[in-house]
Amino acid sequence: MGTFRRLLGFLRPYRRLWAVSFVLALLAMGVTVLSPALIGHAIDRIRDGDKGGLTEFAVALALLGIGRMVLTIGRRLVAGRVSLGVEQDLRDRLYGHLQALDLGFFDRWQTGQLMSRATVDLSAVRFFLGYGLVFVVQSLLTVVLAAIAMTIQQPLLALACLVPAPLIVFVGHAYGVRGRPAQQDAQQAVAEVTASAEESISGIRVVKAFAAEDRRQEAFGEAVEHAFQKQLRAVRIDASFQPVVQFLPQISLAIVLLVGGRMVVDDTISLGQFTAFFVYVMMLVQPLRSLGVMLGLGQRATASGARLFQVLDRAPDIVAPEGAALRTLPLATEGAAIGAVEFDDVTLRYPDQDTPALSDVSVSVLAGERVAIVGQTGSGKTALVQLLPRLYDPERGRVLIDGVDVRDLDPTALRHEIAIIDDDPFLFTATVAENIAYAAPGATRAEIEGAARRARAHEFVTELPDGYDTVVGERGLTLSGGQRQRLAIARALLAGPAPGTAERPGDAGQGPRILVLDDATSNVDASTEQEITAGLREVMRGRTTLVIAHRLSTVLLADRVVVLHQGRVADVGTHQDLVERSELYREIVTYGMADQVFLSREDRPTEVQEA
Amino acid sequence: MSTPDAPRGRGTFLADVRRRRAATRGRGRRIRNLFGMLRPYRGRLVLLGIALLLSTGAMLAPAPLVQRAVDDGLADGDLDALTTLVVAFVVISLIGLVASMALARLVGWLGARLLSDLRERIFRHLLTMPVAYHERQRAGVLVSRMTNDVDALQQMISSSLVTLVQSLLLLAGSIVILLTLDVKLALITFTTIPVLLIGSLAFRLASVDAFARTRETIGAITAHLQETLSGVRVIRSYGRERAHLDRFTELGDDNRAANMKTVYLNAAYFPAVEYLSTAAIVIVLLVGGHEAIAGAVTIGVLVGFVTALDNFFGPITDLSNVYTTFQSGMAALDKIGDLLEQESTLTDPEHPVAVPSPLRGELRFDHVTFSYGATKAGVTATTVLDDVDLVIPAGATVALVGATGAGKSTIAKLATRFADPTEGRVLLDGVDLRDLRQNDLRSRMGIVPQEGYLFSGTVAENIAFGRIGATREEVEDAVDRIGAREILDALPRGLDTTVGERGTSLSAGQRQLVAFARALIAGTPADRAGGDDEAQRTLHRGIGGPAILVLDEATANVDLRTERRIEEALATLLEGRTAIVIAHRLSTIRTADLIVVVDRGRVVESGSHEELLQQGGAYATLHRDWQHGTEDAAAALP
Ligand SMILES: Nc1ncnc2c1ncn2[C@@H]1O[C@H](COP(=O)(O)OP(=O)(O)OP(=O)(O)O)[C@@H](O)[C@H]1O
Ligand SMILES: Nc1ncnc2c1ncn2[C@@H]1O[C@H](COP(=O)(O)OP(=O)(O)OP(=O)(O)O)[C@@H](O)[C@H]1O
Ligand SMILES: [Mg+2]
Ligand SMILES: [Mg+2]
Repeated sequence: MGTFRRLLGFLRPYRRLWAVSFVLALLAMGVTVLSPALIGHAIDRIRDGDKGGLTEFAVALALLGIGRMVLTIGRRLVAGRVSLGVEQDLRDRLYGHLQALDLGFFDRWQTGQLMSRATVDLSAVRFFLGYGLVFVVQSLLTVVLAAIAMTIQQPLLALACLVPAPLIVFVGHAYGVRGRPAQQDAQQAVAEVTASAEESISGIRVVKAFAAEDRRQEAFGEAVEHAFQKQLRAVRIDASFQPVVQFLPQISLAIVLLVGGRMVVDDTISLGQFTAFFVYVMMLVQPLRSLGVMLGLGQRATASGARLFQVLDRAPDIVAPEGAALRTLPLATEGAAIGAVEFDDVTLRYPDQDTPALSDVSVSVLAGERVAIVGQTGSGKTALVQLLPRLYDPERGRVLIDGVDVRDLDPTALRHEIAIIDDDPFLFTATVAENIAYAAPGATRAEIEGAARRARAHEFVTELPDGYDTVVGERGLTLSGGQRQRLAIARALLAGPAPGTAERPGDAGQGPRILVLDDATSNVDASTEQEITAGLREVMRGRTTLVIAHRLSTVLLADRVVVLHQGRVADVGTHQDLVERSELYREIVTYGMADQVFLSREDRPTEVQEA
Repeated sequence: MSTPDAPRGRGTFLADVRRRRAATRGRGRRIRNLFGMLRPYRGRLVLLGIALLLSTGAMLAPAPLVQRAVDDGLADGDLDALTTLVVAFVVISLIGLVASMALARLVGWLGARLLSDLRERIFRHLLTMPVAYHERQRAGVLVSRMTNDVDALQQMISSSLVTLVQSLLLLAGSIVILLTLDVKLALITFTTIPVLLIGSLAFRLASVDAFARTRETIGAITAHLQETLSGVRVIRSYGRERAHLDRFTELGDDNRAANMKTVYLNAAYFPAVEYLSTAAIVIVLLVGGHEAIAGAVTIGVLVGFVTALDNFFGPITDLSNVYTTFQSGMAALDKIGDLLEQESTLTDPEHPVAVPSPLRGELRFDHVTFSYGATKAGVTATTVLDDVDLVIPAGATVALVGATGAGKSTIAKLATRFADPTEGRVLLDGVDLRDLRQNDLRSRMGIVPQEGYLFSGTVAENIAFGRIGATREEVEDAVDRIGAREILDALPRGLDTTVGERGTSLSAGQRQLVAFARALIAGTPADRAGGDDEAQRTLHRGIGGPAILVLDEATANVDLRTERRIEEALATLLEGRTAIVIAHRLSTIRTADLIVVVDRGRVVESGSHEELLQQGGAYATLHRDWQHGTEDAAAALP
C-alpha cells in the first residue's frame, strides 16, 4: 500500500490538471448516465403514441451526445498531458538519481537490471498513473452515478440490483493480496532476461571468439523460460479474478429481469422504467470489464513501483557537503604553484570486500611535481588515484588537495580540477570532436585539433571518412586500440590551459590543476609513445601529474616514484634512490630496460625543478 | 528516418499519403509471421477459439433475452416464462464466466509464450549478426527491441488482440441480431459503417508517423541510458553529469512531443466514434418510434434493438480504446521486423567443409584486401589492408608489429573470420575460411581480443567460458600455465571472486590475465587430444588446448614482472601451436619465429629478428627507438 501511495505522489505536480480531468470525466459520465433515462422516456412516449414528445427526447439525446463528445475531447487532452508529464518526470527522476549515485552502486548492479527498471517497469507505472487510474476512477464513477440515478428512479429495484456491488471491493482486495507478489516476481524475472541479453550483446566479440553462441543462447533461453513461468503464475491469478469482476453486472441483469419484470407485471414500474434499468446495468458491463483489467495493471504498476524505489531509495554515498562546510580550492597566484596532493593514512575498502584495496597509504605530492606510481597488477594503483576525484571515498584517512579535504568540496567542481585518463578508455557514440571536447564542451575546433595533435591523434583523425565529424561506434569500437587511447588522451589534454598560465590568473576557464595518466599508453607502439610523451610534457608543465605505468619510459618522466605493493606503499624515492634500495623497482628496470623507449636524461624537461 | 513535420504542400500531399501507406506495408506479412510462431501451440489456439466463442456468445445473450422477456413475459404477464428466461440467462452467464477465465488463461499463456519465443528469436538473430554489425549498432537500441518493443507487443497481444477478435465477433453477432430484430432499422444503423471505415483509415494514415516516432525516440532514450551506465566512470571522472542530464531531457522532450501528437490524434478520433453510437440510437428511436406508433414493430423489438446497438457500438468504442496500444504494438512489430530481416553478411556455408584433421594450423593470407564498410552511403571506405600476402607456417609463432592503426588487429580479425576479406582469401591448411563453419573454426582457436570482456560471474566461471564443459582442474591448470596463480589467488576469494559486470571489480591487469587464461581453455580438451588422434597428440604433446592462438596485446596492461612470468610460460605453451602475437614490447617480439612489420595496411617486411635487423629497414628503425637510451638506465643500475 505504501508503494502505491508513493506512486500517487508523482501525480502531485499535476494536481490541478488531474482535478480538471476528473471534473471533465465526471461531467461526461453524468451526461452518459442521463441517456438511458432519456431512452426510457422516449420508449414511454412511443408506447403512448406521442410523436412530438419522441422528437423532443431524441433531440435532447443528440445534444447530450455532443456535450459528451466535447467533454471527452477535453478530458483526453488533459489526461494525455498528465500522463506524458508523469512519464517524463519519472524517467528524469530515475536518471537524475542514477547520475547522483556513486560508482560503488554501479559495481553491484547489472546494467540490464537498471535498464529493465528504466524501461519496462517505468512504462508499467506511467501507463497506470497516466491512463489506468483515470479508467479506474471513471469506472467507479459510472457505478456510483448509475447507482444514484437508479435509486432516484426506483429505490427498491436499485437496491436489489446493487447487491453485487460490495463484492467488487472484496474481490479487488483479494486480488491485490495475491496478484502483487506474483507480478513482482515476474518483473524481476524479466529484468534478468534483459540483463542476460545486455551482457551477451555487449560482449559479442568474446561470445563469438569462443564459439559460445549456443551456450549463451541456452542461458538466455533459461532466463526467458524462467520469466515465462513467473508470468504464467501472474496470468493465472489474473485469470481467476478479472472475469469475476466482469461477471458481477450479469448478476444484476438477472435481478433486473427477475424482480423488475415482476414489478412491471404488478404495474409498480412502467415498461420504460424497466428498460431504463436494464440499460443502466448494461452500461456497467463495459466499465467493470475495464475495471478488472485496470486492477491488473494497477498490480503491475505497484510491483514495478516497488522495483523503482529499490533504486530511488538508495541514497548516494558521495554527495556535496552542506553549504556551510563547502569550501573552494585556493586559486593560483603569481609564483605559487598549486595542485599539492596529500594522501593521509588512507585505507580503502571496496563495498562487500573483506580485504582492503589500500591500507594506511600516506603519500604527499608537491604542487607541480610529477610522481609515478608503479607496482604489480592489482597492487592498488588505480584505487589510489581514483580517490582524488572522489570516485570512491576512503574508509579511513583523508585525501587533501592544496590542504583542502576533497570531501569538503563540491564534487563537480573538484572533478573539474582533475583530468584523468583511465586504464580502460571509454568513448561515447558521438563524433571524434565531441569525444575530445567532452570535458570542455565550449572548445573551438582549433583547440580540439591542438589537443589531438599533442596526443598524436590528428593524423589518423584526418584520415577517417568524415575527419573530426566521424561518429565512433559505441565505446569507440570502430577505432583501433591505440587510436582509442589517443582520443582519451586528447580528451584529457583539452581540459584547459594549466593553472597560472591562463590569460587572466584565477580565470574560471582555467584548466585542471592535476593530471592523472593511468596506463594511458599501454596500447600504443614505442615510436608513437615517444611522440605522445613530447606532447604530454608540454601539458604537464605547471601541473601536478600522477602517472601510472608499466613501461619504464613513462616511469622515467617522473621526478619521484611511489612503489605500491599489495595495497601498501613499499617505497618512495627518485629513480636513482629506488634502483639502489628497492628490489621491486630494480626488477622493473631490469625487465623494462630491454625493450622500452628510454628517454635520455638530457631529453627530460627540467622546468619543474627550476620552478 | 521518417520526418513527421515534412513540408506538405498541395502537390506533395498525395505523395505523403502514399509514403505513409507504404510505411505500414509488410505489416500483414509480419503479423502472419508472428502468428506463424504460434503453430506449435495449435491445440491451445483451438481451445482459445472455443472459449472466445462461448464468452462472446454469453455477452450477446442479454439483448435477445430482454426482447423475449418484454414481449413474452411482461406483455402477457407470464411470470413463469420470465423465470425460465432468467434461469437460462444465469446459466449462460456462468458458462460465460468459466469461458472468460479459460480465455484469460489461454491468452495469457499464448501471449507470454509467443513473446518468450520472440525474445529468443531476436537474441539468436543478434548472435548470428557479425561483429561489424554490433560495432555500429548501439547495444541499447538492440536491448530496447527486446524490452520496450517486445513489451509493447505483449500489451498489444494480451489485451488488444483479444479485444480485437472479441469485438469483431461481437460486432458480427450484433449485426445478425440487429438484422433478425428488424431489417430496416438494421440497415439504417449500418450506414454508419462506411463513415467509420473512412475515418479509421484516415486516422491510421495520420498516425503512422507519430507512432513510429514514439518507438524511435524511446529507443534513443534507452540507448542513451545504456551508454550512460557503461560510461559512468568517465562521466563521474569529468563531472559531466549536467550535460548528460540535459541530453536526457532533450531526448525525453522528443519522445514526449511524439507521444503528444498521438494524444491529439486520439482525442479527435475516439470521441467522434463514440458520438456515432449516440447518433445511431437517436435515428433508431426516431424511425423505429414512428414505426412502432404505426404498429409496424413491437416495442420489445425496439428495446431489444437499442440494447443490441450497445453491443454493436460497444466493441467499436473498445476497439478505439485499445487502438493506441495496438498502434504502438504494430510500430514495435515494424521495428522488430526490420531487425530480424537484416541479413547477416557473414554466414556459414550451406555445405561446410570439416576442419582439416589433423589440424596443422597453417594460415595463409592470399592477396587480401580489406576495408570496413562505409559509414555513410556515398563515402568510400578507406582500405585498411592492402594486398596482404602472408603465410603463417603451422606451429610457428608470428609477431605482428607496427604503428597503432596499422591494421594488426584487423589481420587478427580476418584470421578468426570476424570479417571476410573484400578481396582475396584467407586459408587454413589450404581451406578457405569461408568454407568452414564459424564455430568449428573458432572452437579450435584461443583468442584474446584487444578489448577483453568479462561476464558477471566468478573468475573461474569466466575462465571456464573458454570451452563447453571445462572442468575446475582445467581452469586451475590454465591459471598455472600462464603463471597467474599468485596474483589471482590473492583476490579476496581467489578464483571464486566475483568479477562484476565487465570485470569492473578487477584491476586492468587482472582482467587481462583472466582473458588470457580463458583463451588457453579453448580448443580440444587434453584427454581427447591425447586420445585417438595420433597426429594431434604429437602435435600438442597431449596438453590439449587451442591449435591456434591469437593474442592481441594480451599483456598490455600487465606489469613487467608478471609479463615476464607469462613469457616464460609462453615459451612452452606456444610450442606446437600456431600463434599470432600482437605486442608493442620487444621482449615478446624478439622470440617470435617470424616477425611481420605492418605499415598502413601493408606488410612491409618479414623475417626473423636477426634477419630484419640486418636488412636495416623499418624494423631496424623501430628497434633503434627501443634501444634508445638503454645505456643510460643501465648506468643507473648498481
Ligand atoms: N570496483 C571494485 N570492487 C572490488 N574490488 C576492486 C574494485 N576495483 C578493484 N578492485 C580490487 O582492488 C585491488 C586493486 O585494484 P587496482 O585496480 O587498484 O589495481 P592496479 O594496481 O591498478 O592494477 P593494474 O595495474 O592491473 O591496473 C585489486 O585486487 C582489485 O581486484
Ligand atoms: N570496426 C571498424 N570500423 C571501421 N574502421 C575500423 C574498425 N576497426 C578498425 N578500424 C580502422 O582500421 C584501421 C586499422 O585498425 P586496427 O585495429 O587493425 O589497428 P591496429 O594495428 O590493431 O592498431 P593498434 O595497435 O592501435 O591496436 C584503423 O585506422 C582503424 O581506425
Ligand atoms: Mg589499474
Ligand atoms: Mg589493435
